[in-house]
Amino acid sequence: MVGLSIGEKKFIQGGISQDLRADGRQRRDFRPISVEIGVIPQANGSARVKLGATDVIASVKAELGRPSSLQPDKGKAAIFVDCSPTAAPIFEGRGGEELSTELSLALQRCLLGGKSGAGAGIDLSSLVIVEGKVCWDLYIDGLVVSSDGNLLDALAAAIKAALSNTGLPKVSVDLAAAKDDQPEVDLSDEEFLQFDTSGIPVVITLTKIGRHYIVDATSEEESQMSSAVSVSVNRRGQICGMTKRGGAGLDPSVILDMISVAKSISQQFMSVLDSEIAAAEAAEADDA
Amino acid sequence: MATSSTTTYSPSQSLEKRQQQQQRRRLFREIDWKRSDGREFHQCRPAFLRTGAASAAAGSAYVEFGTTKVIVSVFGPRESKKAMMYSDIGRLNCNVSYTTFSAPIRGQGSDHKEYSLLLHKALEGAIILETFPKTTVDVFALILESGGSDLPAIISCASLALADAGIMMYDLVSAVSVSCFGANLVIDPMAEEEACQDGSLMITCMPTRHEITQLTLTGEWSTAKINENIDNYTVTLSLLLYYR
Repeated sequence: MVGLSIGEKKFIQGGISQDLRADGRQRRDFRPISVEIGVIPQANGSARVKLGATDVIASVKAELGRPSSLQPDKGKAAIFVDCSPTAAPIFEGRGGEELSTELSLALQRCLLGGKSGAGAGIDLSSLVIVEGKVCWDLYIDGLVVSSDGNLLDALAAAIKAALSNTGLPKVSVDLAAAKDDQPEVDLSDEEFLQFDTSGIPVVITLTKIGRHYIVDATSEEESQMSSAVSVSVNRRGQICGMTKRGGAGLDPSVILDMISVAKSISQQFMSVLDSEIAAAEAAEADDA
Repeated sequence: MATSSTTTYSPSQSLEKRQQQQQRRRLFREIDWKRSDGREFHQCRPAFLRTGAASAAAGSAYVEFGTTKVIVSVFGPRESKKAMMYSDIGRLNCNVSYTTFSAPIRGQGSDHKEYSLLLHKALEGAIILETFPKTTVDVFALILESGGSDLPAIISCASLALADAGIMMYDLVSAVSVSCFGANLVIDPMAEEEACQDGSLMITCMPTRHEITQLTLTGEWSTAKINENIDNYTVTLSLLLYYR
């Protein structure tokens, strides 16, 4: 993807082994993050996250739907990621499809938990309005506007911000109006319920280059990786999803070490993200 | 085949199915329960492995893990498509598909895109791609019968097929998945167990090199639990490979 000369490759590798990366960061430093919320008025919630030159938008749309017959006590949530060709020419046509699927799957794994719904970041049972009849369908869409590495972490952060910006309209249901079929539903324009985001994890991707691992790799650094592991950690320090993103095999002890490093970094990143989201919320309230 | 026991036919058996599933879920919550095929929690299903299943392919393998039946063919190396950029290492093209009759309801085997991607990632770390520059190796997997733990079966089968095709690899790859139900961990889950699991962990590794090529995890896990598991199951995996 990235054309680099031998000199440049050596420079990146050498820098990482000496804990000083090409942009002056240390191995475990993130790039400056900026969060904007409420960027898409059409959506119930939205956020834009910039992590250095990586720029992503997440939007949350909620629609009324019917719970699936197998899980009548749960709402539904779907996560899709789109890699726009405006970010890179290789995303044109079907080119971005593989990356989009990979990112969507990784996010689904991190946010939706196991089959029974245990350990999910998004509590699907909170989306039910009338059991077996009416529920919220949450459509979470991520868009990659500009890509400079570490897309998964940026997307997860954007989704977290977008969900904390999400207000679901208050619903009043008239069960008596229709007995058998869909009950009559009335949406309120004024009252909104805040979506609970306390369980939403953050994703930390550790990229292994040489003998060391770095966080928040740029695309130049990603092109030099031997392997990468994405770990999602929630506020309680529990691991709630993990994917190895290809590359060479790793010794089990290295993976365990990566998990513990990711865990300690995640708590810092979580608090940085929380304060950014709070600042963005304050900024939006000022505008309004 | 006529079934005499059912007198009425209902097209949607969802209510019945739901009750069944809820019952199972309750059962799995308890500390001690019997798996429906009588296995211990930490016991794999009987496996059958054979190479040379399809004659037209450069290499192929057929694997049965209990009721899960998978066939994988490997073609190539062949010249990469002209449209592709020059690459000094080989490419791997993986495709996983389900037969329409693999699941209880026809044409329901769905998430093969995910599986293609994960198969690719599990294998790429094991193949010495430098040995076939500018060319592509195709790996086609077909799930004949889906009985749970499909992906581990595909991955193990694909690595056998690659070896059968004479593609240079660092080591064979073996895979296993583990389901988590409350406090219990169940190895090599069946489809009905997978449907109500709280979390799952899949490890693919190269046993003689003691390296993990792919690791996916869903649900909520504590670090200690992961540590214990990775240690345990890499050992199990190496055992698995020995008896092959």
